[in-house]
Amino acid sequence: MKYYVLRQLIQLAVVVLGISMLVFAILHVIGDPVLLLLPQNAGKEEYERYHKLLGLDKPIHVQYWKFASRAVQGDFGKSWYTDTPAFKLVLERMPPTLYLTTAGLVMALLIALPLGILAALKRHSFIDNACTMLAVAGQAMPIFWLGIMLIIIFAVRLKALPASGYGTWEHFLMPAFTLGAFLAPITMRLVRSGVIEILNMEYIRTARAKGFAEPTVIVKHAFRNACIPVITVLGLQFGQLLGGAIVTETVFAWPGVATLTVDSIRNQDFPVVQCAVVLLALIIVVVNFIVDMVVGLLDPRIRLGA
Amino acid sequence: MRRTIAIGSAVLLMLTLGWRSPGQAQTKDDTIVYALQSDVDTWDPPNSVLREAIILGYQVFDHLAVRDLKTRKVIPNLATSWKTLDDTTWEVKLRQGVKFHDGSPFTAKDVKASFERVLDPAKKMTARGNHAKIKGVDIVDDHTVRFRTDGPYPLFVERMTALVMHSEKVLREKPHEWVQENPVGTGPYKLVRWNRKQEHLLVRNDDYWGAKPYFKHVRIRIIPEQATQIAELISGGVDVIKAVPPDQMDVIEKSGQARTATSPILRTAMLQLDQAARGGPNPFTDKRVRQAANLAVDADAIIKHVLNGLGDRTATAVNPMAFGWDPNLKPYKQDVARAKKLLAEAGYPNGLDITFNTGPPVVEPAIQQTNDAIVADMAKAGFRVRQNYIGDNTVLVARIKEGKGGPMFNWSWGYYSVFDADAILYDVFKCGEPYSYYCNKELDDMIHAGRSTLDQKKRAEVYVKAQKLLFDDAAYLYKWGLRGVWGISNRIEYQAPADEVDRMFLATPRKK
Repeated sequence: MKYYVLRQLIQLAVVVLGISMLVFAILHVIGDPVLLLLPQNAGKEEYERYHKLLGLDKPIHVQYWKFASRAVQGDFGKSWYTDTPAFKLVLERMPPTLYLTTAGLVMALLIALPLGILAALKRHSFIDNACTMLAVAGQAMPIFWLGIMLIIIFAVRLKALPASGYGTWEHFLMPAFTLGAFLAPITMRLVRSGVIEILNMEYIRTARAKGFAEPTVIVKHAFRNACIPVITVLGLQFGQLLGGAIVTETVFAWPGVATLTVDSIRNQDFPVVQCAVVLLALIIVVVNFIVDMVVGLLDPRIRLGA
Repeated sequence: MRRTIAIGSAVLLMLTLGWRSPGQAQTKDDTIVYALQSDVDTWDPPNSVLREAIILGYQVFDHLAVRDLKTRKVIPNLATSWKTLDDTTWEVKLRQGVKFHDGSPFTAKDVKASFERVLDPAKKMTARGNHAKIKGVDIVDDHTVRFRTDGPYPLFVERMTALVMHSEKVLREKPHEWVQENPVGTGPYKLVRWNRKQEHLLVRNDDYWGAKPYFKHVRIRIIPEQATQIAELISGGVDVIKAVPPDQMDVIEKSGQARTATSPILRTAMLQLDQAARGGPNPFTDKRVRQAANLAVDADAIIKHVLNGLGDRTATAVNPMAFGWDPNLKPYKQDVARAKKLLAEAGYPNGLDITFNTGPPVVEPAIQQTNDAIVADMAKAGFRVRQNYIGDNTVLVARIKEGKGGPMFNWSWGYYSVFDADAILYDVFKCGEPYSYYCNKELDDMIHAGRSTLDQKKRAEVYVKAQKLLFDDAAYLYKWGLRGVWGISNRIEYQAPADEVDRMFLATPRKK
């Protein structure tokens, strides 16, 4: 187990380093930020002064080294656009996105687990078909469309929920559901196939033969094993969820880090983009690390076979 | 196990990062809510290029002069009167008894400090270019200042509406970073708090020297998605939204909760043609081709049918609201036969291929639809136009600035909110300016003449001549002056502003 943890940790560091290099390289390829930063009537002189001021006149590996050595100390430089530390900007906007994705994840599980198990138990029945249709519909629905539909129904027509914004639990419901609906279909299908597969296993027959009640068999014996692929996929989907958060945050005016990142890419605000992407990558990698640990705990074959 | 981890980490997150609950001090009746599509970068207006920063600045700061929304004339504000002493000196009298939010009095030294800060090249203020004609500010007494200018400066009065008055004490005592987030003005509202990219909360300045605002609080919410803004407006969550797309006006009108208001705004749209050959040789260097383009398009029909009438046809790019506009100059009327003839004379009897760089609807409503209509009209005369859509406006603008916008591209100009022909002629038509694809020595002389005298009658005459030249030479493909569309909640009275500066302090509850 110790080696398993160690190897995962090394992988984690390599991935984050690689991502930071990649972001750095891509940003420097997509265009000249100085042109966007300067006011419309600035001259060539001004342009060159800014170029130098931002350190863009140095070779790229020198720029990267400077960036990386500061970044490990939490200094990602100042936002070129707002003149505030990028780390502070990103950190300020991180909680809303983490709350939203966590709530979306919980919402997805609340939808997917019961429906997935139900569909597996009542295979090829009306319920199973209905669940399949629901999953297809959920998968096919664009996030922004669902978000706007919810706003029209619950805010404009029923006036039951605030249309957008951030702060109270009521503000959470629609965005979390929107994001949950995006993740639920795939999870539901996985739970279904996992449960079906496991119900055919011999140890389930053994459990039944021992005379356990059916709910005990399902919850205690089948579910735990069916969880393993679900947890793995949820970990992988976490990145997707952050992608979905961009649209959800935009529709619901949610002050999160996903929209900040997109805005900063648009403004070519290098320090903020670098900081946000590195931190988000770190979160995704850490989530996957936790997932690996949990799966390892649940399934001894993984940690021992390695 | 997994559930414990999920719940545990969620709780941990909330505990460590802190859960902010919104202030509940204000009630709906004494609060007006205003929505912006994107947030400001700073609360220091002269340090920002954003329109939003100008708007927020107006709520919290005062300017020496302001524009009267009804007459569109510049009227006194913190300045009570102004006059010229000679061609290069303006004397301005200041209002007495005005206090900053921190209680210190407003005097001549605050005016001097505010202008000198912007003019100091080392401070790198983005607004510096707008005031660069001012050479220095002298204090005569506590409530009189004199401005020395570099040559005659006819736009001085207009530009007094474009700089907020900071407190000299604050600028001296507080670091630059502090000023970016903590506005200390003399204006009708004070900033209570700013949650970046989320909302601003303002509270009424009860010591305000002028008419006190009706609403005790202003909440300015950042809502990036237009559909969400409209949903908030018609569900009562927001009171004022701007830049409503023309096709959504009906939704708002029929809601019973809100209405729309339109106002002509100081922004003219056009298609720039690369007469100056900045991108190399192209057909539009020939005057006949430019004229043919203007004659091919039925702009009146486009305004009527595509824009629902939300546009004011202009003969050139000079806006009807700008000083110097010539009401007697009639715009091009569609004449396809003449356009074809001109093209044949220019050597294109079988028509010609043109690339058209188009942009997203950031400032111009329904730009894609009007572009399609224009392209279809041009095809009738023999222009085979290929649209090249550039989805990111900042990229398009950067490309145009580098001289790579031609041979034809979408352009509109907001005059930096200066209601004067010079504010477009200089930037968009003068040889060698970054956003000009036109070059004509004769016009440059007129532009120079217009900004070198304080005699408004002489200036008006120069601009009439300049417009005649621009019309005859068909410098660009002229379109129309834009109109802004606002969505306004039925619970308030509010006037749509022609200068695109929303003033929440002028809003009042609607009489039942």
